[in-house]
Parts: sequence; C-alpha cells; structure tokens
Amino acid sequence: MARAFISLRLNPWGDKRKEREKGGPNLCPRSSFSRDDSPPRNCPEIFLAARGATLPDRDNCSGFPTSQGEVGVMEEFDLENPFQELQESEPVASLFEAESDHMPAVNVRRFMNGDFDVSFRQNAVSLVMKARFSCRFDPFVAYLAINYLDRFVSSQEIPRGKPWILKLVSVSCLSLAAKMKKIVFSLNEVQSEEGFIFDCETIRRMELLILGALKWRMRSITPFSFVSFFLSYFNFNDPSLKKCIKARATEIILKAQNDVKLLRYKPSIIAASALLSASHELLPIQFPFFKKEISTCIYVNKDKLFDCLGEMQEVVMDGYDSTFDTVYSSETPVCVLDRHCSSSESDKTSGAIMEPELKKRRKMSDFCKQKTLQLSQIQQC
Amino acid sequence: MEKYEKLEKVGEGTYGKVYKAQDKITGQLVALKKTRLEMDEEGVPPTALREVSLLQMLSQSVNVVRLLCVEHIEKNGKPLLYLVFEYLDTDLKKYIDSHRKGPNPRPLPPTVIQSFLFQLLKGVAHCHSHGVLHRDLKPQNLLVDKERGILKIADLGLGRAFTIPLKSYTHEIVTLWYRAPEVLLGSTHYSTGVDMWSVGCILAEMVRRQALFPGDSELQQLLHIFRLLGTPTEEQWPGVTSLRDWHEYPQWKPQNLSRIVPSLEPDGVDLLSKMLQYDPANRISAKEALDHPYFDSLDKAQF
Repeated sequence: MARAFISLRLNPWGDKRKEREKGGPNLCPRSSFSRDDSPPRNCPEIFLAARGATLPDRDNCSGFPTSQGEVGVMEEFDLENPFQELQESEPVASLFEAESDHMPAVNVRRFMNGDFDVSFRQNAVSLVMKARFSCRFDPFVAYLAINYLDRFVSSQEIPRGKPWILKLVSVSCLSLAAKMKKIVFSLNEVQSEEGFIFDCETIRRMELLILGALKWRMRSITPFSFVSFFLSYFNFNDPSLKKCIKARATEIILKAQNDVKLLRYKPSIIAASALLSASHELLPIQFPFFKKEISTCIYVNKDKLFDCLGEMQEVVMDGYDSTFDTVYSSETPVCVLDRHCSSSESDKTSGAIMEPELKKRRKMSDFCKQKTLQLSQIQQC
Repeated sequence: MEKYEKLEKVGEGTYGKVYKAQDKITGQLVALKKTRLEMDEEGVPPTALREVSLLQMLSQSVNVVRLLCVEHIEKNGKPLLYLVFEYLDTDLKKYIDSHRKGPNPRPLPPTVIQSFLFQLLKGVAHCHSHGVLHRDLKPQNLLVDKERGILKIADLGLGRAFTIPLKSYTHEIVTLWYRAPEVLLGSTHYSTGVDMWSVGCILAEMVRRQALFPGDSELQQLLHIFRLLGTPTEEQWPGVTSLRDWHEYPQWKPQNLSRIVPSLEPDGVDLLSKMLQYDPANRISAKEALDHPYFDSLDKAQF
C-alpha cells in the first residue's frame, strides 16, 4: 500500500546559513499583540532546519539512505482527510473530539454583534478571495486561511481604526495556509494588487502571533474532514451519485464559510448539514431517509444539526428568485424543509413553489451529468 | 518563558537537551525542548509549521507524550521555539535497569510487560494511522509513569530526520539495536514495519532485561540478527539480495525464538515472531498486534 509517511527534516548539525538581517519598519504594533520577548538563560539550543536547509556532507557517515525524497515524503495536509485512515473508528472519534479546538473562540458572537467586526471579517474574507482568484489558489487554501483568520480574530482584541492590520492579518493567514498546503505563491503579488506591501519581517511577526494564538494547531479540522464519514451513512449504490452529492456539499461548505451565523456550528455539523442540503437538492425523495440516518450518528447533536441545516438552507438559497426566498425565509426552517420535501413528493404544492423548484431540479439533473456546477448557474435559472 | 523554572537537565534526545522544569504558578512539572527557528524570506519555515502542528495533533493519544504548549520567544533577535511537554518521571530503559541492577534484581512482572506492550502498540497504531512513522523507538524514548502503570511514546517529531543519523549532535552514538534489517541493508522504501521491528526488540528486552540485538556497527547489528533468526533468503524475503547494502553473509540457521525469551508465554512468543519477520510486508501491523491472543487476558478497557 503506497502511503506517504512523515519525514521531519531536522538538522542536528545546525544550519549554517546566515541569519537574515532584521530590518525595515516594524509595522506590527507590539503593544497590541505583546508576547513574551525576554531571552531565556542557560538554554541549550537545538536546531530546527528551515525548508531547503542544506545538510553537511555526511553521506559517508552511515550506510543509510540519504535521499530525502526516497526515504520519507512529507505528508500532504489534506483537508478532506487530515488523518490517513478515516475508516478506522479511532481517528474518527478523535476528529470529533478535537474539532472544537479548531473553531473560532466562543466570543465569535462579536462577529455577529458589532458592525465593526462584521465588516472587518467581510473585508478580510474578500481580500483572501480576491487573492485566491488572482493567484488561482485551490479553494481549500482560501478556506484554510479564513479558518485561521476567524480563529485568530475571535481570540484577540483587534485595534480599531487601523485598516492595515486587517490586511496584514489576512495576508499572514494566507501565507500560513499556503505553507501548510505546500503552495508557493508570491506574497508581493497579492499585496501589490491591494496597494500595500509589508516587509517580510512584519509578516513573519504576524505569522508567529497567529501561530501563538492558534496554539500551532494548523492542521485545522474543517467540515471537509467529515464529508467522507457522513457520506458513508448514505449507502449509495451509484458511485457517480455519491460523487455529485459530495461535490455539491463541498460547494455548500465553501459558500457557508462566508456567513458568520454559521461559524458557531462545529465543523462536523456543518459537514452533515451540507450533505443533507445537497441531498435535499439532488435527491429530495431520499432526503428524509438521509436526515434520519445522519441523526442516528452518536457524534451528532440532532437539534444543532437541524438548526444548522435550516440556517444553511437560507444561505444556500440566497440568490434564488424572490418568490422562492419569500417562501423559504420562514422562522422555522426545519419545518419548512419538511414541508418542502413532503410537498414535492405529494404534488399538492402551489405553483408559486413548484415553479422554481422544478427549475432547480432540472438544473440539478444537468449537474449530475456534468458533475460541475457553479452557484452562478443556479442563480441564472 | 518566565512561567517555568528550569530544574535540571533530564536527558539528551537525539537532537538536543531536554530540561525538567516547573510551572511557577501551578507547580506542574514539564519537559522543555528548545529549537531555533531558522527564518528566511518566507517567514516561519513551512517545515517547522507542519512538524509542530503534526505534533499537536499526535499528542491527542494518551499513549503519546502530550505537547502542552508551544512558546515562541526572541533571544537576541533570533526566534526560538520552546516545546513544552508533560513530564513523566522515568523511561522504560531506567525501569528495566532498575529490575536488572540495584539492590533487588527481579524480572518484570508478566502483567506489566503485557500492559506496557499493549500501550506501546496503541501509541504506535495512533501514529501510523495518522501517517507518521516514529523510526527511533527504543526504551529511552518510552516514558513511564510507574505509579499509574502508564507508558507513552516520546521524542516524536523532533527526532525524525529524513535520514536516520548515526551520531547525534552531541556525537553520542545513536543506538542501532532497534533498527530494522531493511534499514540496515539500505532499503529506501521502508514503512510502518520499521517501527514494528523496534517494538519486537523492545518486547524481548522487557522479558530478558537485556537488549536482544546489541550491535555496535551496522554489520555487527546485522550479524546479531542473522545469528538468531537465520540468514535471510530470497524465498523468505523477496528482493533482500538486491538491497543496496546486501553482501554475502555467513549462512546461519534460524534458532528457536522461545529459547531467547524463556519466561514469555507461548502467545507472546508467537506475537514476537510476527514482529520479527524479515519481510516487512509479512510483519504484523500495530493494529493487528492489538488483537493478538497474547492480549486476551488483558483488561483492555482500562486503556
């Protein structure tokens, strides 16, 4: 079985490269993000080699393999599968156990209450998304960057009235996410498009502040980590159908990240809701069965799941025509979902609901054929 | 870092010194490991980023030593990283030594061997299921809480250079005793089997209270192995004679393993023989080993 195992590159002989000179204006307000800076005493040093550090010639000091590529490949960080063997029960349990450590802090409500925070986040998210499109990132890099951003911003007091902080935090989160995903991109390119450039030292400091605040838990457990697990509850016979549901759920998860209301739900709940939303769109007849199956999962809080599903439906529906919006902007989304479902089965629905519903269904069947669907396509119908 | 008071140097890992320290407020004992972060134009090195976050993830298992926190500080403008681990008072090497030497030499109780092996396998299975090889499992790297009978894998992550070094930075000889034959023979595609070989050596050492294969050079290490298990053949281990460092060796016949570990019950000997298979593909996995009949008499629920 070909599996990549971790190889940690450590250079016990010390890296002889020159220390990069520090310099440039320190834009980072130390007082706002003060960290312990005092030098330790009497400490031995071991050396953690930087990427690309050259090792001293020691090929002959042992009979062991020296080619790093062959011996151990640094494992990719895959958001969908942060653990290698998700089918085993233990990693799944530990995913559920650890997921709360990878959520925005409890005071995430600050996002929802103060106007400042909402606009702060919106601006930061739009900056990351702009960078994503201009540098053609994988959407997961942007997702990860925004996850870092939410966790960081919810754990810190961000000084007001300093828009450059927003940019610095966004760029640093993006830089960290790209490193975790091993994607090389030019920070300068991103920055210059935004009309600002921070020096490396400033970004490095901000990266360290973010790492500290996030306790170096950078292998975020995201909703993508749970998709395969919950998909196994659906018992699909047709692999292409499974693929469609997964692809649509992935889009919903990406879209859901834009909505601050959904930040309070655990990643697993988001994943389960996204799959249910996707199945509701694509396989409405089976939807009640899937809903029942997923709510039997011991790791899932049923009430939270249904609340989240209701809110997610609103987010996903956002952009449909007004008739549709009116009908589905009920205060009891779960009930609406139920009614929605039974109505489509019983055909007793009014034309006002039926029409967009049919259009959407038609679009969804196209989606299954094409296996790609942009949200914009739905909006066009 | 004023939060901690350094008490004493407790060890020298392959890559550096480890200090015992105490949290000044809570009194909690911790193990401090310091690393220097080599920064470049790209800021925090991606390798360090991925390694430390991986350690964070692995330390969720009760059988892996817990990474309590990561502290970043700057000393004379150089960024340093302190890894703060939970502290355990002894390691398996010291534990075995205390049963071999000293005022009261006695075998390790069979139930302790069984329990420690089970916990070791649980920790190894945890690492393997997360795609991580330890590569340097040895009694010194297994921390033990004598009172509670708990064993935890340490030195994960910060010891896994992409080549296994012969000498540490302090020029201390890195032990070869637990090294798998495929590594000794220069195989470049080794996998989880290297850790399972080490686990086998550790099991035998707990029973014997002395190392199973105490070699002091690669060649001698191989000869120790061949003398006990027989010189490997192509039938037994397809491809062995094509490995980079394979030479012609004296032909030994395999010996009876139970004579080497006489006090180990037959199920234990069977498990040991499955861990010491020459062909890494035939070696038992950590997960399979946890279900071996040797552990039938163990109350697994307690872990």
